[in-house]
Amino acid sequence: EELIMSSWLPPKHPIVVNAFEPWAEEVEKVTDGRVTVRIMGKPLGSPPAHFDMARDGVADVTYGLHSFTEDDRFNRARLGQFSFLGDDAIANSQAYWSVYGDQLNAAEEHAGTHLLGLFMHGPGLLHNNVRKIETPADMQGLKIRVPGGYVGDLVSALGATPLFMSSPEVYEKLSRGVIDGVAFTYEAMTAFNLVDDIKYSMTVPGGIYNTTWFFVINEDKWNSLSEEDRAAIDAISGQAFAERVGQAWNDADTAAQAEIGDKVDFYQATPEVVAALKEQAAKLEQAWSEGLGDYDGAAALAAFREMTGVSAE
Amino acid sequence: MTDHCDTDPAPDMVPGRTPHRRAPWYRALAGVAALLIVALIGVTCVDVIGRYALNRPFGGAYELTQILLAALVFVALPLTTADGGHVEVDLALHLLSRRVQRVLGRLAGAVASVALAFFAWRLVVIGMDQLHDGTRSASLAIPMAPLAFLAAVSCAVSAILILLRKEAP
Amino acid sequence: MTLSLIALAILLMMVFARVPIAFAMALVGGIGFALLRGWGPAGAMVGNAVFETGLNYSLSVVPLFIFMGNVLAGSGIAQGLFSAADRVFGRMRGGLAMATVLSCGGFSAVCGSSLATAATMSKVTMPSMRRFGYSDSLATGAIAAGGTLGILIPPSVVLIIFGLLTEADIGKLFLAGIIPGILGIIGYLLAVMVAVRLRPELAPQVKEVQPMSRRDAISVVAVLALFVFIMAGIYGGFFTPIEAAGMGAAAALLIAALTGGLTRAGLWTAFLDSATASAMIFAIIIGAEIFGNFVSFAGLPDGLSDLIEQMGLSPWAVLLLIVAIYMVLGCFLESLSMILLTVPVFYPLVSGLDFGLGVLQDPDAVLIWFAIIVVVVTEISLITPPIGMNVFVLRSVLPDVPLATIFRGVLPFWIADIFRLAIIIALPILSLYLAT
Ligand code: NA
Ligand code: NA
Repeated sequence: EELIMSSWLPPKHPIVVNAFEPWAEEVEKVTDGRVTVRIMGKPLGSPPAHFDMARDGVADVTYGLHSFTEDDRFNRARLGQFSFLGDDAIANSQAYWSVYGDQLNAAEEHAGTHLLGLFMHGPGLLHNNVRKIETPADMQGLKIRVPGGYVGDLVSALGATPLFMSSPEVYEKLSRGVIDGVAFTYEAMTAFNLVDDIKYSMTVPGGIYNTTWFFVINEDKWNSLSEEDRAAIDAISGQAFAERVGQAWNDADTAAQAEIGDKVDFYQATPEVVAALKEQAAKLEQAWSEGLGDYDGAAALAAFREMTGVSAE
Repeated sequence: MTDHCDTDPAPDMVPGRTPHRRAPWYRALAGVAALLIVALIGVTCVDVIGRYALNRPFGGAYELTQILLAALVFVALPLTTADGGHVEVDLALHLLSRRVQRVLGRLAGAVASVALAFFAWRLVVIGMDQLHDGTRSASLAIPMAPLAFLAAVSCAVSAILILLRKEAP
Repeated sequence: MTLSLIALAILLMMVFARVPIAFAMALVGGIGFALLRGWGPAGAMVGNAVFETGLNYSLSVVPLFIFMGNVLAGSGIAQGLFSAADRVFGRMRGGLAMATVLSCGGFSAVCGSSLATAATMSKVTMPSMRRFGYSDSLATGAIAAGGTLGILIPPSVVLIIFGLLTEADIGKLFLAGIIPGILGIIGYLLAVMVAVRLRPELAPQVKEVQPMSRRDAISVVAVLALFVFIMAGIYGGFFTPIEAAGMGAAAALLIAALTGGLTRAGLWTAFLDSATASAMIFAIIIGAEIFGNFVSFAGLPDGLSDLIEQMGLSPWAVLLLIVAIYMVLGCFLESLSMILLTVPVFYPLVSGLDFGLGVLQDPDAVLIWFAIIVVVVTEISLITPPIGMNVFVLRSVLPDVPLATIFRGVLPFWIADIFRLAIIIALPILSLYLAT
């Protein structure tokens, strides 16, 4: 049986090379060649369409970001998008798989598919080329590209202007001064060629934001596999995949840091800035938790932080 | 649907075979398309000028451009279709008799109509999904379902127009 | 791969039976996909392609760059360019055709599309050439070929789309197109000279030059100003290449208002033509996307690149093979669908090649050079039978000229293009000098 996987990241992206491709090879191995995975050279749709593509069977296996689509489908997935969640992509991803998966019933939000993985990358930073942000007032008036809802609300609460655009656009806009900064990981700084256009990068313990990813297979396709093969694939997916992909993100971050060296001023956020971030973040976390109905978002966040070892206060 | 045709060769058409129609529905739709182009230009200007003159960029410029673009394309699709403005190849046709050409033309219109009708149906499906999921744009929270339904109507109208198309001269 | 080839054959049959290219590609692609994956998935894939293409931010350059050109065309600027160019060449045999080539090049500097350039310039230059007894073949050939420069000389819709497909720097791609574009003008001028030398009956000697009014001089200044505005805006960091389309359109409206050449009816036509041309282009992009998903699923790209890799050729041989494939595809495909279908296949292959010398040591430079090669072969495809879009444009604008006449007239320019292609491949520095 051949599984068709649609991949929209560049073919040389670290998590394609170090997580998805090895996973695909492993699938063949653990099923003794009964199941193979073919990763398409060209995606079969736009990145935001990738969840629906797996659900509708356009492809069998897809991955993507929950924040691609702004709708009511992945509300509980936001668990992993807040600030102060953890600095290690492996711990983040494992906590996300277990807390979002169990306490917040991730499977229900991914109806029509079977979950192969839920994961996060390393800590998000705030990069800019205007000034070192030492007090909350330094955020005033900065134009910051953000990946989605939560960080947008956060930087806007601190007086900066959040702007939305696709990742490849960031280079054009940053190098032309259309934006002053961007919320990104270490890895994205080199991947999108931003090093020369960034001067200051503020690190926040546990990350200023994160993005959450799904890795799914079409439900009918999944059920058509034999029980033995499903068990074998499950064993290398989920928690095991969280470790694999987390390692890939960590390695990419480390490599990027080595490449950047001291071309960018990396600095710890001052206690004052951290306090301001915490205050705004707490409000946003509370609003999210209250909107979840029967699910207890606050408890899930606490459990998550306990697993990754970030002090929850 | 075949009246009101201008007989000028419409030299500046890019690239079409018959001149623009003059029917009221056509002019009304063309007016909307013109406004959408103005809006597209306006969004960029407000964003670019705003960020230099006032240091106040327009946060919604990206997604507003996307939405206006989609609206423009789907508003204009029936116009192009009514003009017979879709790219066709008539290279080998002169080898055939007029009669065969006519039949082929009808057939080709029917085939294109099937494709457009299929588009319309799938766009309705997308629109219903988006209505159900509450899909909206990221920063301005504009609901997306109406856009999908607009696209569906556009494709449906175009399917009818191309089915009834006048035979090429 | 076999299935893809069968599908390609069916597609060509449908196209020759006058099914619009866009819908033929959509239908063959959709049905092919359904045969491989089932109807439900095929339907979802088609729906996504239709909806998401409309929402593609970077494609906003299509209506806006076309509108910019249409506004200028409506305000008499193209006429001014032609008159000015005629002052340079007017007294030579074939001078009007040479002026046509030069003014096409000038108009390309403010128009992002080859089709729009050809359509606009045909309206301006064809009447003069007919009045002075030029043969239809030389006249239409010069316009069809000159018009192709629209996608090479910046701004260019095709270069923007190439940049977005490959994450190349669009600003650099624009710069890279300038010298090959000028080379194209020179080649076409030589083509006219040689053609009229061999067959003097193509163009009579014209003693008078077109009168050049103050308005014509203003037109030349306006085109220069707009080109500088766009390029300075992009390289000065004021706006991105995508935003340049909106800013350029606004500036064109301003120029039209200042020179007073655009009537209300002309403005209306500019809007209407831009809207209908955009819908036409988007329909083709949607069709190409659907067809592309099918062939990619059916394994054509993988098969093709595996095949090339297995041959174990040297990097230059691989490049020449790719160019040859482009030339063949270019006979049949429309320019945008050609770029959308092929660049995702060949770009990874080319970026993995090691030319290992001089300017080509930098992988980014290889990519820019490859982009220019692709655009030049795409230009050639626009005038290569049987499906040459620029020729079709002229055909629709001048319904009384048979297609065969235009294709015959294009031949000298086509030969000049082959020489230009060889030079651009042999001397990468021509594409890279301004860009690096
Ligand atoms: Na151009
Ligand atoms: Na061709």
